[in-house]
Amino acid sequence: MIWKPEEARRVLERSIKLSRGKDVLARLSGGGTRNTRFAVGEITSTGEAESAELSVQVAFGNRHGTASVNQFDDATLRRCVETAEEMAQLSPEDPEFMPVLGPQKYDQPRAAWDAKTAAFSADDRARAVAACLEPARAAKLTAAGFIETGARFQAVATSAGLFGYAAHTSADVSCTFRTSDGTGSGWAHANSNRVGDLDFGRVARIATDKAQRSQQPQKLDPGEYTAVLEPAAVADLVGYLTFTMDARSADEGRSFFAKPGGGTRVGERLLGRFSLSSDPAHALAPAQPFDGDGLPLRKMAWFEDGELKSLLWSRYWAKNKGHAPTGRPANRILRASGPTHTIEDMVKSTERGLLVTRFWYVRFLEPERVSLTGLTRDGTFWIENGQIKRPVKNFRFNQEVVACLAGAEMASQPVRVSTGEGTGPTVVPAIKAKGFHFASISDAV
Amino acid sequence: MRRLADAALSAARASGASYADVRVVRMRRQNIQTREDHVVQVSESDELGVGVRTIVGGAWGFAATNQVSVDDAARTAQKSAATAKANSKIIAHPVELAPAPAYLDTWQTPRQKDPFRVPLKNKVDFLLEVNREALKVKGVRYCSSGFAAISEWKYFASTDGSYIEQDIVRLWPSYTVTAIDVGKGEFQSRAHGFPPQQGGYELVEQSTLLADAPRVASEAVEKLHAASVSSGKRMLILDPAHLWLTIHESVGHPTELDRALGYEANMAGTSFATVDKLGKLRYGNELMTIWADKISPGLLATCGYDDDGVKTTRWKLVDRGLFVGYQTTREQAAWIHEKASRGCSYADSYQSFPFQRMPNVSLEWNQKKDLTLDDLVAATDDGILILGNGSWSIDHQRYNFQFGGQFFWEVKGGKRTRPLKDVAYQSNTIAFWHSLDLLGGKSGWRAGGSLGDGKGEPAQSNSVSHGCPPCRFRDVNILNVGRRP
Repeated sequence: MIWKPEEARRVLERSIKLSRGKDVLARLSGGGTRNTRFAVGEITSTGEAESAELSVQVAFGNRHGTASVNQFDDATLRRCVETAEEMAQLSPEDPEFMPVLGPQKYDQPRAAWDAKTAAFSADDRARAVAACLEPARAAKLTAAGFIETGARFQAVATSAGLFGYAAHTSADVSCTFRTSDGTGSGWAHANSNRVGDLDFGRVARIATDKAQRSQQPQKLDPGEYTAVLEPAAVADLVGYLTFTMDARSADEGRSFFAKPGGGTRVGERLLGRFSLSSDPAHALAPAQPFDGDGLPLRKMAWFEDGELKSLLWSRYWAKNKGHAPTGRPANRILRASGPTHTIEDMVKSTERGLLVTRFWYVRFLEPERVSLTGLTRDGTFWIENGQIKRPVKNFRFNQEVVACLAGAEMASQPVRVSTGEGTGPTVVPAIKAKGFHFASISDAV
Repeated sequence: MRRLADAALSAARASGASYADVRVVRMRRQNIQTREDHVVQVSESDELGVGVRTIVGGAWGFAATNQVSVDDAARTAQKSAATAKANSKIIAHPVELAPAPAYLDTWQTPRQKDPFRVPLKNKVDFLLEVNREALKVKGVRYCSSGFAAISEWKYFASTDGSYIEQDIVRLWPSYTVTAIDVGKGEFQSRAHGFPPQQGGYELVEQSTLLADAPRVASEAVEKLHAASVSSGKRMLILDPAHLWLTIHESVGHPTELDRALGYEANMAGTSFATVDKLGKLRYGNELMTIWADKISPGLLATCGYDDDGVKTTRWKLVDRGLFVGYQTTREQAAWIHEKASRGCSYADSYQSFPFQRMPNVSLEWNQKKDLTLDDLVAATDDGILILGNGSWSIDHQRYNFQFGGQFFWEVKGGKRTRPLKDVAYQSNTIAFWHSLDLLGGKSGWRAGGSLGDGKGEPAQSNSVSHGCPPCRFRDVNILNVGRRP
């Protein structure tokens, strides 16, 4: 159930009023998610869940505590506030505590809410599953996948008069189809704020094509190869890059963005011709325009034409260093300056290289160099003389993200993708990168 | 509570359900985070709700709500049945549940001191004292510490006649020390390996967390100045505080039956340990016996009954190297012609659909000889000893894995000679477990674990432990991940 702004405001203000604290921050979020899973060619489970959670942070001076509940009767609200107060009173002084914010203005993303998505039912999902299964059945592939829609809201209020409210819908579909001999696997996905944007049949056809073409992969020696990375793979790299962009960590010398001898690398050209930005009002990836403190998340340029323009500034560290706070990225938008190319262009221009559909189990190897390890999955192909020649066995990669992006030779138009790492709405291009380090072979299909 | 459960079950039956279960779940969490000389977060959450699972026309349905009343439970059951009906139109294979006895029972984590009742001040003082001790070591710049307590209370009832109440408490104190060489622009961190586990606050009070702080801090500094490892095939000695995660990834996940049969293909992946290999595959050599269990005291996945209402048990997954068992639920038992579930159903919240989750999966100690970690080091002429967990990653069928660690020793001539850095090892599951050549004994057996093992769509989190003795492996591929990734 989606709470209306006035309903959310009423509960938030009631919570704030119940507290004796000077600084009170109350957050309310909730809504519903609905999903259907399918595997081995049929529906395996489904779920529809409604939830709402209230979180109240109370501060007495610099002592603060936070409590949260998901019941909204008056007794529970009182208990929540009392718990937060009790924790605040028992907590030592926190010299980093920031007083709550007063009223703020937010740029509300227009495309975030879609009534059709909010109403997408179990029957609708079952029909969508049938649309996904049809190409797989025709091609005698074993189909697995997931369809989920969500309709959620977030609201925040403070004792200093701030109130923010945002609601969004979401729709995701992903398909993994495997060949009956177990040697081929293909994956495709789509996500949007509007379920009407999802073409279930198209996603299934791409997964079908990838599965069929990836059958009977051959071994290729590990090594450095030119890599054409499809957008889903690029999104994982970008997600991990932004995990390391905290300004405080850089100032404290524990980050790739710390300069040896002190200071940060802001102003250095690190990312070739890529620009990385955030924009809650972005047409493809509308996002919540405030963070958990109610701080507005505005349009931000993190990298511009490769140059590091800004790190991520928390409110405390920004105040400490006389900088404006930025909060976290509302979303992640990566684009390249100059001409864009299709994936087909990238393949055609590649003498010897690999086409990668997506990555799996990506983890930091060495955070101080933003080096990652992970594996390719669900469609990895050998390119020779401008053509996709054959499927190859999957690889583990060990690769520095910045070097990969800095050395990229081509990029496509950015598209919206979902990531396996839960980094929120992401819009990235496919890229062609030189010298990508495929470190060892994986027999996984 | 029983009235609410009965209302949900009746409504499910009236909506055509051939089976239904209801879980009322209350999750409480307390979290304290500190850094250096101050607290940065103190929070407590309390979540309550009802989830109802139904089978109608052979298909699963599920619905959940945070509205906890008799009427809402009945309404949620009807909604659950409606989703099942929608799915039943396009399924080919109706769900069949293995039989399970009905239980009227309660179960709780044995504990002396409820961590939620221990005064906040005691916990904060303890964490700040750890930080102070760590920061006394020259070269250490930062120390972050934390304490997490999770209380999972649930009431389960099913149309098979079970009514089960369980009260599970898990906790995890932790800290990480960071040393920095500003001039070189390098930093190194060392985390304490104290595992999350079930129990009361007495676990913290009886621990060596505080006493270990100077050593852990010194090791962070030593890592800064450690020699970079040479890559190549080496003997590898793995401490239990490291090896538990290798077991989790290379044995725990591959032996999940839903994975092996393709039910997790879209996200978590499948498994090389397919059903045709059961009873035939040599997973490792004779030294390798792996037990699955949900009954060992203190381990994270332990409970009285799973979320299918099945009484928990202990069984072998690998017996002296031979692959002999899977993890199953009531739905899955028949898939491999077993008559009863192994009791591995779990949902991480009232909102989540229960499905097969990993029990505790542990490596049996050496029954013949009580070899210690020091014995393994003494027996090694040229090798590397890894303590604690670092980077970890494994492919989606569980063949190729690569692990880092927290601290690395070069071992030469039976002695720890110097600290190393930039170490990772890469191997393949079957080759790795066949290379096990020294198995530690009972005295060195320890359990590590995770409060956040992910699986499923939407993603669910499971708490699971893995016990093991220290072990040595031959000819493992060591990588230098610092020189060139």
